[in-house]
Amino acid sequence: MLINYFDDLEKGIVSSINDQGGKASPRKLYSLEIARLGKRLYSGSNKVAWCGVTAPFDLLHAMGLTSCFVEFIGAMLASTGMAGSIIEESDHAGYSSDACSYHRAIMGAAMKDLMPAPEILVGTTVPCSGGLAVIENLARHFDKPLFILHIPQGDSDSDVAYLASQMKDLTGFVTEHTGIALDRGRLKAVIEKTNEARGIVNEIFDLAKHCPSPANSKDLNNFLITMALFLGSDESVSLARAYREEFAQRLSENRSGVHDEKVRLLWIQNRIQFKNPLVDTLEKEYRAVIVSDELNSITWGPIDPDDPFEGLARRAISIPFNGVTQRRIDHLKQLARNYKIQGAINPCNWGCRQGTGTRGLVEAGLREVGVPVLNLEVDCVDERKFTEGQFRTRIEAFMEMIQTRPNPWQQH
Amino acid sequence: MYYLGIDIGSLSCDAVLIDEGKNVKASSVVPTGARNRESIALATEIVMSRAGITGRDVKATVSTGYGRDRVEEKIASVTEITCHAKGMQALRAGAEVLIDIGGQDSKCIHMSDKTAVVNFAMNDKCAAGTGRFLEAMARALQVDIGEMGGLDKGARGGVTISSMCTVFAESEVVSLIAEGTGVNEIVKGLNRSIAARTVSLVKRVIPDYQGRPVAMSGGVAKNDGVVRAIEEALGCSVFVPDMPDTVGAFGAALFALERSTQ
Ligand code: SF4
Repeated sequence: MLINYFDDLEKGIVSSINDQGGKASPRKLYSLEIARLGKRLYSGSNKVAWCGVTAPFDLLHAMGLTSCFVEFIGAMLASTGMAGSIIEESDHAGYSSDACSYHRAIMGAAMKDLMPAPEILVGTTVPCSGGLAVIENLARHFDKPLFILHIPQGDSDSDVAYLASQMKDLTGFVTEHTGIALDRGRLKAVIEKTNEARGIVNEIFDLAKHCPSPANSKDLNNFLITMALFLGSDESVSLARAYREEFAQRLSENRSGVHDEKVRLLWIQNRIQFKNPLVDTLEKEYRAVIVSDELNSITWGPIDPDDPFEGLARRAISIPFNGVTQRRIDHLKQLARNYKIQGAINPCNWGCRQGTGTRGLVEAGLREVGVPVLNLEVDCVDERKFTEGQFRTRIEAFMEMIQTRPNPWQQH
Repeated sequence: MYYLGIDIGSLSCDAVLIDEGKNVKASSVVPTGARNRESIALATEIVMSRAGITGRDVKATVSTGYGRDRVEEKIASVTEITCHAKGMQALRAGAEVLIDIGGQDSKCIHMSDKTAVVNFAMNDKCAAGTGRFLEAMARALQVDIGEMGGLDKGARGGVTISSMCTVFAESEVVSLIAEGTGVNEIVKGLNRSIAARTVSLVKRVIPDYQGRPVAMSGGVAKNDGVVRAIEEALGCSVFVPDMPDTVGAFGAALFALERSTQ
């Protein structure tokens, strides 16, 4: 079923690009890469590794695996409108209806035979224990070997060394269970591509910071978290270049992502994955643009291609969701300053202990830099729980409030 | 000329007509039926006939509430959060904390003179502690919702309704009746459970709410028992205007006046 979906998606995008004489917006190219990743995962001819969000996808790519974090499937099912009925299925695996719907959808998909069997699974202890639990469930369900990366919360040299040595062990684990040995030369080439894409992505974010921003609210939706899956490939570099060129061109033509931009917003944690009218309401009725996402920021340095394990470990540790909440708050404040944010929206995804448990601290932290936060309490995956009127009222009231407040960055 | 504000909520549709001096000329509250366009027409007709005017005398209309987009004659729609704040600031200068409990929403709004709404929060996920919650409890107690406000008189306050879910709270009430607990004690317990929810909403929006003037709007503000319980829980008095259920419509009417003369 899903292979057909990804196949149709790829064909549709390719034919529309052909109709445009080969021209495509970066967002279209991004969707094309997603369709192709979906096809690789579901084709049955590739060796698949189901992973946690912070796994080293480029390292696994260098070893010839098609790897993907499992939450990608939750997001895909939500975007196709199929998540609802599949989520119910997870109850049979003992999932509480209060659990995160990303994980319920993944478990339901596995139980309904909507997930291809992997060769191996790589769980990560960050960003959430629910993510690790779903990987453990899947390992039992598919009866496949599981490797767990214990990501330390701190970034001391010993923390980094500890994770780097686990990543080296991971390569041995891959070899043991797939028969593929690590080719150092190939790994070096992959890491060089990762570094190249990293540099361009940083440039993209710098361009997006302009006032008014060349980005609209959808351009960079789910961008970096998905880009992590393509890192190390030629496609990741060409995709990043396409974004950079598009944003640079828009800026040179004085074209903003949202016409007559009036309000700049920050989206906290992940977006709502199913179709909904909130972003259009923001853009059309309030000229507001989601110019930055918490998950769209490069928090790690270039990785040494000759000795990549330390750099890969530092990257996994660096994500703001790891460690104490203050680190996350400092990162959000930094984004608020860099992007001149006037308001932040926190969807507080139902069942996300990581997100909802810290919302008061996050709200107080952003308020310190003059940025109000709207807490939505929305299930980002299960569209059946979406009561449009209620969410629209909250969003509109928030925008009415922002319109009467002084812009915190204007006096600076 | 006159200015009309219409608030289409889940339980009632309210209309307020004001003149250029911001004086209320007439108001009406009708139930929101299944067809809310009819409720809008009826509420509008009533205010116009009470004020002795026709549609041609109305210079501008602003709508608010969940059904705000259903009002065809509007020059703008504004959310109920902003309208309640606007209306209450005109009724009670200096009020900083506004608690609004309507049919299916409860909200707390932090207001200031400069920006009207500084911050707000609404009940999440369910309608416990709102007008619909009280309606269900009145049904379980077999009392008239309009009389519930005085039914806690003489209660010692020893009963706790612990469930926040309307269905479970209803069965808790039924068990208390079966155990022979007095209606006044049960009503007091219900009022206190609403007050506890309300106070946590207030603390979320304005952690340092103490000492700030508090006001209340919405249909539930007509229930004296709930207001008393909130006052006890907050440790301060709460200002309730004469017609708390029309504060949103009044705010909308003020926006109609402001925006049509800008
Ligand atoms: S929303 Fe929260 S619980 Fe769900 S996958 Fe993300 S971090 Fe984990």
